[in-house]
Amino acid sequence: MSAVDLARLQFALTTSFHFLFVLLTLGLVTLLVIMQTRFTITGAPVHERMTRFWGRIYVINYALGIVTGIVMEFQFGLNWSGLATYAGDVFGAPLAMETLIAFFLESTFLGLWIFGWGRLNRWVHLSLLYLTALTAFASAFWIMAANGFLQHPVGYRVDGNVLRLDDFSALLSNPTFTSALMHVIFASITVGGVFMTGISAYHFIKRTPEVDFFRRSLRLGVVTTALATPSLIGAGFAQFPVIAQYQPHKTEAAPWIGAPLGFMIIIGMTLTMVSWLTLPLLIKDAVIRMRFPLYLMVIGIPLPFVAAIFGWLFREIGRQPWLIYGLLRTEDAVSHVDASQILLSLIVFTSLFVVLAVTDWALIARAVRRGPDVTPAPVSPLVVTL
Amino acid sequence: METLWLVVLGTLTVGYFALAGFDYGTGLLLPFRRREIALQRMNPFFLGNEVWLVAAIGVLFAAFPRLEGELLSGAHSTFTLVLAGLVLFMAAVQLRLWWWLVFMGALMVSVGWGLFLAHLLHAPWPVAFVMPVLFAVHGWVFQARRWKVFPVTALLCALPIPLAFSSIDVTGLMAHNDTLGLLAWVAIPIIPLVVLVQWSIVAISSR
Repeated sequence: MSAVDLARLQFALTTSFHFLFVLLTLGLVTLLVIMQTRFTITGAPVHERMTRFWGRIYVINYALGIVTGIVMEFQFGLNWSGLATYAGDVFGAPLAMETLIAFFLESTFLGLWIFGWGRLNRWVHLSLLYLTALTAFASAFWIMAANGFLQHPVGYRVDGNVLRLDDFSALLSNPTFTSALMHVIFASITVGGVFMTGISAYHFIKRTPEVDFFRRSLRLGVVTTALATPSLIGAGFAQFPVIAQYQPHKTEAAPWIGAPLGFMIIIGMTLTMVSWLTLPLLIKDAVIRMRFPLYLMVIGIPLPFVAAIFGWLFREIGRQPWLIYGLLRTEDAVSHVDASQILLSLIVFTSLFVVLAVTDWALIARAVRRGPDVTPAPVSPLVVTL
Repeated sequence: METLWLVVLGTLTVGYFALAGFDYGTGLLLPFRRREIALQRMNPFFLGNEVWLVAAIGVLFAAFPRLEGELLSGAHSTFTLVLAGLVLFMAAVQLRLWWWLVFMGALMVSVGWGLFLAHLLHAPWPVAFVMPVLFAVHGWVFQARRWKVFPVTALLCALPIPLAFSSIDVTGLMAHNDTLGLLAWVAIPIIPLVVLVQWSIVAISSR
């Protein structure tokens, strides 16, 4: 394989792994906002316990997701130096906004939320979670703005052999950005809903004594999924006219490119249908007493993740052979490094990412099995206080 | 504008390396200290430094776009080592199965940064061991609570790489003023805010 192929494969793998963590982070933080708001207003202990339990899972996933994000960020400079050289002035602006306004603040607010548990006024503590959620979605906003520029470059002027920033607001009203942002946001909320449903179902399968706790969690998960999926599908289909206008040859980029798109749509439709069918079964806990739907809920946990990866494959492969559509070809942006160096980093990072994903899964599984009540030994150093 | 962005980048890089001594230093000392207590003391600082690194690379990309690619791809294998060490360290600290993995991760990151220092200075490779030694000393000062020398060792960890960095001539490598002006509105108020909140984290967790 050439340096370009290896660098592309590495980018695809890094992004996919990173995206799995991001989806769950965004989905869970939205649900945490609901749970902690209810706790802060009502003061009911069950809401506090819910915030703690799901908060622990959220923090574990966040801390491991950061690592994949760091590798993502370095990768631009390591393997794609041509992108910064040519378009750093424009593409770099939303990217730097993301690191500064969103990530830098997000993780700091989250840190104070974690260590401030029980030590801060509860309204102050709640507002920290709101700030964390807000900056988390700001991350998605800026990253999608940067990606939208790659799909359909706007707001630039050509100056010699580089691009300069001409109109920043054009980047933010870019149709390939705005249409996709909503799709990504609702995808992450769907991930959160399906995840919460599945984990709660697992506890009912195990005949948990925490009936009230997981009953509330399961209902919240199902209702969230049912509310998010129609908007998710709507925002998805709303992108087709934008694609037809700005990237008319997207579906011809690879002969098999229709397959991931098709699978994504099928998964989205299925989740919508199933979540709406489940809603009436929440009455008198029919869905829990029937038991077999519980198994389907557990099996369903990976589905929205898979769909999201398929969606990304379609969006990114469909842009080829361009890195910046119509301006910079992918093969012209790759760094002047030996293919062997890229191969080495590809092998190292891919194996480490597999380790990370397994670690994440193992730690979450450990936290899930222990249930809502904290045992003296914490599952991860960041959740000691939770 | 040029000086302003060098200061911003310098501050972020100093922030990362000054905080890096807490956890990589602790990791390097694990074979010689009571591990449970050492790791517990590190808790409020864990991940606190990495956010500075992410911000620094973001600023490097947007404000110095023609430097970023050359700098990183020019030391490709060194950064592979740094990042591999980072991933290993962060996963191992959280998993807490084998303490020597934490040590290995810390060693890889700090030797990696040392190699980068040697690369920047065009110095022979044994210079690479400067960074692990500095991190270990700082980690010891932190763990042994020698607060008087603490600012000194923190500075010693923080300064080598930003100083070596300043030997690079950035003329013609920076972004246009249109980009820099826009980002200045964001970068300048955010740094003191993060310092304040991170300080509160440490203050609140030691209460």
